[in-house]
Amino acid sequence: MHSVQEHKIETSKEKQNRHKAMEAIKVLNTLKEEFRTPPKAMNYFYNLFEEVYCNQKPLHNDKVKVGTMCIQIPSEIIYALDAVPIRLCNGFYTDDEIGSDLLPQKACPLVKASVGHLSSKNLTDKPDMIYSPTTCDQKTKAGSLISSFGYDVVDVDFPRTKESEISREFFRRSIHNFSVDLSHKMGKKLTKKNLRASISKIGYAQSLYHKLSEFRKNKIVPILGNDIFLVTNAFFFDKIDNWINATEKLVEELEQRVKEGLHVAGKVSPRIVYTGSPPIFPNYKIPLIIEDSDAIIVADETCSSNRMFNDRVAVDEWFVNDMIDSLADKYLKACTCPVFSKNDDRIRRIIELVRSHNADGVIYQAFAGCTVYELEQRSVLEAMEKAGISILYLESDYSPSQHGQLSTRVEAFMESLKIKNRKKA
Amino acid sequence: MNYFVGIDIGSTAIKITVIDENREIIGHRISGSGSMFYKYAQQTLSDLLNDLSISSEDICYTVATGYGRKLFKEADENISEITANAIGAVAAAKEFGTIKTIINIGGQDSKAISLDDQGNVVNFAMNDRCAAGTGKFLDACAMNLELTVEELGERHFNASGTPLSINSTCAVFAESEIIGLLGNSHSVEDIISGVHYSIAKRIVKLVKRVGVKEGIYFDGGPALNAGLVNAIENELGHKIFIPQNPQVTTSFGAAIMGIDSYNYQNKNL
Repeated sequence: MHSVQEHKIETSKEKQNRHKAMEAIKVLNTLKEEFRTPPKAMNYFYNLFEEVYCNQKPLHNDKVKVGTMCIQIPSEIIYALDAVPIRLCNGFYTDDEIGSDLLPQKACPLVKASVGHLSSKNLTDKPDMIYSPTTCDQKTKAGSLISSFGYDVVDVDFPRTKESEISREFFRRSIHNFSVDLSHKMGKKLTKKNLRASISKIGYAQSLYHKLSEFRKNKIVPILGNDIFLVTNAFFFDKIDNWINATEKLVEELEQRVKEGLHVAGKVSPRIVYTGSPPIFPNYKIPLIIEDSDAIIVADETCSSNRMFNDRVAVDEWFVNDMIDSLADKYLKACTCPVFSKNDDRIRRIIELVRSHNADGVIYQAFAGCTVYELEQRSVLEAMEKAGISILYLESDYSPSQHGQLSTRVEAFMESLKIKNRKKA
Repeated sequence: MNYFVGIDIGSTAIKITVIDENREIIGHRISGSGSMFYKYAQQTLSDLLNDLSISSEDICYTVATGYGRKLFKEADENISEITANAIGAVAAAKEFGTIKTIINIGGQDSKAISLDDQGNVVNFAMNDRCAAGTGKFLDACAMNLELTVEELGERHFNASGTPLSINSTCAVFAESEIIGLLGNSHSVEDIISGVHYSIAKRIVKLVKRVGVKEGIYFDGGPALNAGLVNAIENELGHKIFIPQNPQVTTSFGAAIMGIDSYNYQNKNL
């Protein structure tokens, strides 16, 4: 008789947690160990991600948690009502696979992963309610699917054009409705004082991001683009005061690094602006390939990083309704998401970033299935060619395979940039 | 004598070229990649050096390229196959003139590379991850038709009339499409030319993405297939140049890169 090895059969929750921990730790170890000395202040962020994704540690037990399905829900209003915003955009392949059973195979991996995560009900900081802006088709449909899992999901109407006065009015009303709904659910009122305070707090967080961005304009770049993605990604879910504190320390350390001349890449490493579908932890596949190919990401144009922090709220009058209008304007007008019919702002922003950060080229990534980024590829490529900027377009997804082909493309792109630079010199 | 070696470890074949310091090809060798890239690459190299009676001490610099480039640890340097292909093509096409566009069809990918007047890569495009329009696709079709890949090229020209269309983007589905066409009693020749035209159409799309510029060079194993070459020329509307040994251009380019790196390093010592 052969002996059967005793083994415990995992529950689906245990399996999901184990797989996600494996994905998370792999990326964190790469960031910590494979690259040149990360700043000490990054340890806060490495630990945060490890605690949340490997040890399933909840951060907000004492607070009402407001889930958001996209970037367009003003966190300022959520904080003003003493709740915590948690952005539910997800980067785990494990969750993408769960979501694949619920959505078409060809759907966007980010949407599949977000839906998969929520369908599993296995969340460390489970949202008490979810606001779902009607941005792209897939996110819009995902909202109703998620509500069928038993979550309290509220659609937040979002226009697909942003030039017209109608769309401006439309979104202002939409954000007013959102604030009324949330205020009702929280049993609290938005006041001049609490809203102004939270606008100013987020504004301060934005100013810290701008400081980080300034360092990356220099010849000496003291931090990798992948580390910056981790910092901005933490803003999705971290306690805001802790985030501010940790980022202040990072800014201080980077100042020191610049003084010491500590450059985290090679002398001739190409400087890259990254744009397209957002890298969300732990899907840093393309950013890691880039910085592993002797290049450095000096800026990005994505909704998981630059787009969250770049533009400040411009308030005319500090009355509640005016502040809400200003917030609505900021979340609509400054948005460079490709869902809009026309999106010249995005092209302008990319060119600006290339110039201000002295970049050698642009890498444009679209998730296979992220139709809007796939659609906008053509006009961005044409505009870059016109501006004399080298650009590489890549399609990828959350799967761990395909690494060889992608790295060949990225490496060849870097080799061509280096040759170009050598000729210029 | 100083020699330089370029090793191109592809998905299907390992190609090694040895050149001297004047960039003249001394010899080359091609073998299957199999499942053990590294071991077979080492074996192929030592066989080639034996054939050429070159001692490994006379090898000044080795550059690895291709899908398995990072596995060949003895290499002094590794570069992507796109850069190597460009360098090799420019050198191999000297007699032909200036190369502006390279078409390469390999075992598991196909690419189009656009060059500037100095032969630098300015843009490139590659197929997505499936095997459609690659050497593997040709292999699969030949197998379905019970032919060798060599026979595909010869019989292409015996097709009558308009080539059949094979629409499947996937090599596996194309197989069932071919079976369907055979079932409808189409001739093998017509199917072959249909296969070639379907690959040609895909590759022309890639070339258009980087821009069609006169001075077109085609390499990789499938460039030996005269039927495919014919189909690409017709789809593109341009003459294309096929080098004498289309399989070894990339390893030749890697070897040339070796001379440059070797000289550069010695100059900076």
